[in-house]
Amino acid sequence: MSQLRINECIPSGDLLTPGHLACPGCAAPLAMKLALNTLGSDTVVVMPACCYTIIAGPWPQSSLQVPVYHTAFATGPAVASGVRAALDMQGKHDTTVMVWVGDGGTFDIGLQSLSGAAERNENILYVCYDNEAYMNTGIQRSSATPWGAWTTTTPAQFPEASNKKDILAIMAAHNIPYAASATPAYPVDFVEKVTKAKAMRGTRFLHVLSPCPPGWKCGDDEGLELARMAVQNRVFPIVEVEDGQRWRLTMDHAGDAVEPYLRRQGRFRHLNGEQVTHIQADIDARWEQLLRRVESSGGEVPRAPALAGARA
Amino acid sequence: MPDNIPVTPGPRGVPQVAMSRTSTLVTRTGSWKYIRPAYHDRVAPCNARCPVGIDIEGYLNLLREGRVDDARDLLLQENPMPSVTGRVCHHPCENACNRRALDGAVAIHAVERALGDLAHERPAPIPTATPRAERVAVVGSGPAGLASAYHLARLGYGVTVYETADKPGGMLRLGIPEYRLPRAVLDRDIDRVRAHGVDIKCGVRVGVDVTWDDLTSTFDAVCVSTGAHTSRALGVPGESLPGVRAGLAFLRDVNDGQRPALGARVVVVGGGNTAMDCARAALRLGAQVTVAYRRTRDAMPAIREEVEDAEREGAQFVFLANPVEFTGANGRVQSLTCERMALGEPDASGRRRPMPTGETFVIEADTVLTAIGESSTLEGFPGDVTRNDAGLEVDALGGTTRDLLFAGGDVTDLERTVADALGAGKRAAIGIDRHLRRHAGDTAELNALRFATGNLSAARWMQRDPVRRVDPINDVVGTDDITLSQYRRMPRHADAHLPSDVARGGFAEVNEGLTAAEAMDEAQRCFNCGVCTQCDVCLIFCPDAAITRVEGGAYAIALDYCKGCGICAAECPRGAITMTQDRT
Repeated sequence: MSQLRINECIPSGDLLTPGHLACPGCAAPLAMKLALNTLGSDTVVVMPACCYTIIAGPWPQSSLQVPVYHTAFATGPAVASGVRAALDMQGKHDTTVMVWVGDGGTFDIGLQSLSGAAERNENILYVCYDNEAYMNTGIQRSSATPWGAWTTTTPAQFPEASNKKDILAIMAAHNIPYAASATPAYPVDFVEKVTKAKAMRGTRFLHVLSPCPPGWKCGDDEGLELARMAVQNRVFPIVEVEDGQRWRLTMDHAGDAVEPYLRRQGRFRHLNGEQVTHIQADIDARWEQLLRRVESSGGEVPRAPALAGARA
Repeated sequence: MPDNIPVTPGPRGVPQVAMSRTSTLVTRTGSWKYIRPAYHDRVAPCNARCPVGIDIEGYLNLLREGRVDDARDLLLQENPMPSVTGRVCHHPCENACNRRALDGAVAIHAVERALGDLAHERPAPIPTATPRAERVAVVGSGPAGLASAYHLARLGYGVTVYETADKPGGMLRLGIPEYRLPRAVLDRDIDRVRAHGVDIKCGVRVGVDVTWDDLTSTFDAVCVSTGAHTSRALGVPGESLPGVRAGLAFLRDVNDGQRPALGARVVVVGGGNTAMDCARAALRLGAQVTVAYRRTRDAMPAIREEVEDAEREGAQFVFLANPVEFTGANGRVQSLTCERMALGEPDASGRRRPMPTGETFVIEADTVLTAIGESSTLEGFPGDVTRNDAGLEVDALGGTTRDLLFAGGDVTDLERTVADALGAGKRAAIGIDRHLRRHAGDTAELNALRFATGNLSAARWMQRDPVRRVDPINDVVGTDDITLSQYRRMPRHADAHLPSDVARGGFAEVNEGLTAAEAMDEAQRCFNCGVCTQCDVCLIFCPDAAITRVEGGAYAIALDYCKGCGICAAECPRGAITMTQDRT
């Protein structure tokens, strides 16, 4: 069958209930559904302030059928370290502690506690679902917002002027056992990475591109297609890093032009041709840098143009 | 949800540490939506474009499920001669195939051919029809006549086919050379029609041996499918010189086993399939062949593969060349003078009209074969039946302007291909059935028999369509409705061909098709446009976990929770989910 048989690779389950409060078309609950159903019910979620604080549901309801600990913005990994210690004291070494947090709580506000937990190699799985701004509070820029993007704090006349932080390189530089990028738009790759992370011990970091229709100014049904475009045009390369040393591309990236991706999103609508060229040049430079990392760590680098959507 | 942790309630029952103990199922987020998804099977473009009206997507889907015999039966419900069409059809289905946007159209012709050939090894059971008292005469045993006879027999009528030639097949036998359609293959497909109880009487010239009035008074209905066998004349000086021949007459000789002497240099005039057949047949008789065509390669009406094969076998092409005069020497044609044409404005066919430039050039020729089209002649045919330049005028069901007289195929004013003829024969059969049963259906009823605006489905007319469609919408799935990223690349299987030097040495079949295993593989490339295959993509991608599987293999959408984001419809690989305005 020429269709990708994703249903043979995706675990079913009902650890995410309907009725959650995500906006229509939000990819974060899809990521949560895939992650939870892969991890199973023996999981504790620690959730600093982020969109998902709302999505999970107001007290006394929860859309996650596992224990969830809501924490302050900056404290996710610190709280998770404590939860881990408490579980370990009870002998529950196999329970997965998952921090689930947005880009603001990872790239900006939570970075110190994440760095601390990674330094201690705390036995936690940290998942950053990255929608590239503080979406929940009204689309304010974060340090995950890409250069040139509109947000309410970087209006079209003065769009985002900094490059997005390379969070995966930051985390890999902590030499943690596992750091990877994924997107629910490629669910098989996503599930494989969660499965792999679950089986490991120590700090595991997953950077998840999670399209946000209101924040990206795209149609409710366009997010996943945009995420696939972001992978294929190398805006968001799909990689994994083991022990901070071994970099590997886990999917093919066709190397499509970035412009169609930008043009489909209202947050980039103001960009002129020169700015698009600048973005393309930046993507190309980062891709070269990534290939050097992959190559220098003994990984395989694609030589020929790859096929869109094919698994490496 | 942990429920074994003691909680000390505070004032008004609120715990000091807020702890959720219920799920969000109480929140009916379905009230947010203004559009809702629904499963509606739609029409695959191949089905809509098939002139025969074959449920191509349907049989490919059955093959996907490994139900080979069911696929064969579904194919045979619409097409009596799949071994023939699998070889000679111009396959507009493939031109419409959405897979072209990924890695090449599904090689539908090759799958059809394999299924057709399999149907000879493992014949389909002949369905029993309630016999009807009425008898129908079919005049002409080409694809239109055989199709109408086949479908009428399956509807229970007694059918007699009259054929002028000594063997049935019409243009399939007289016009198409053996290297494209081996006679054994043709005979087997005709035998299938006979096996349905159709009586084929050869060597009978209707209008001469039997009058049309005899037929209309003896039979309850008559289907005219006598074809178009008269080569159109170029109308230029020197056309009557010896050595200038009608291409069709030449093919008729060759297909009859003769090997006419042509001389060394043969020029074929025309760009259609008859021209290609003439060129390739002449190559096989040892000639050097030049094809002169007044338009360009893109505008050639011939099947693209035929042009490529002719070229591979050594035919030369001269485009934008319009014959203006034949010149003879010693009582025989010696050369052909052509005027160089230039492309002008598009004409009625949408192709750019060739315009004379005044410049001429000469091509030497020992024989010239003209193949610029054929027209129909009907001897002794009733004069009160309306016809126009292209042939008999027929309505949507093959009805002529005279009661009980129906027509289909090249004798009518419709497209002249094998597939169109088979489709027209089926329409005439349905028209005759409606007429004889005094069934007054309306346009809506007829449209329900169509795949979108395509041909009628015999299976639907007989209410024997085995394919169950989910709340169908009769519109075509376009490439935009397909989610290409849900498919992996899988290159199209290429037909095996005889090497060109071997091919032009004789009349053995050139295109050897695919092996049965390759053809089954090729069937797996089908996107199943518009038809849910229960692939679970909607269920996996729904961010609201609002889609579940239900008993029997279908899906249910919890509309109480679905927010109408449309991701299921957008991600559906094949356009089987439609978003509709919310009624609330």
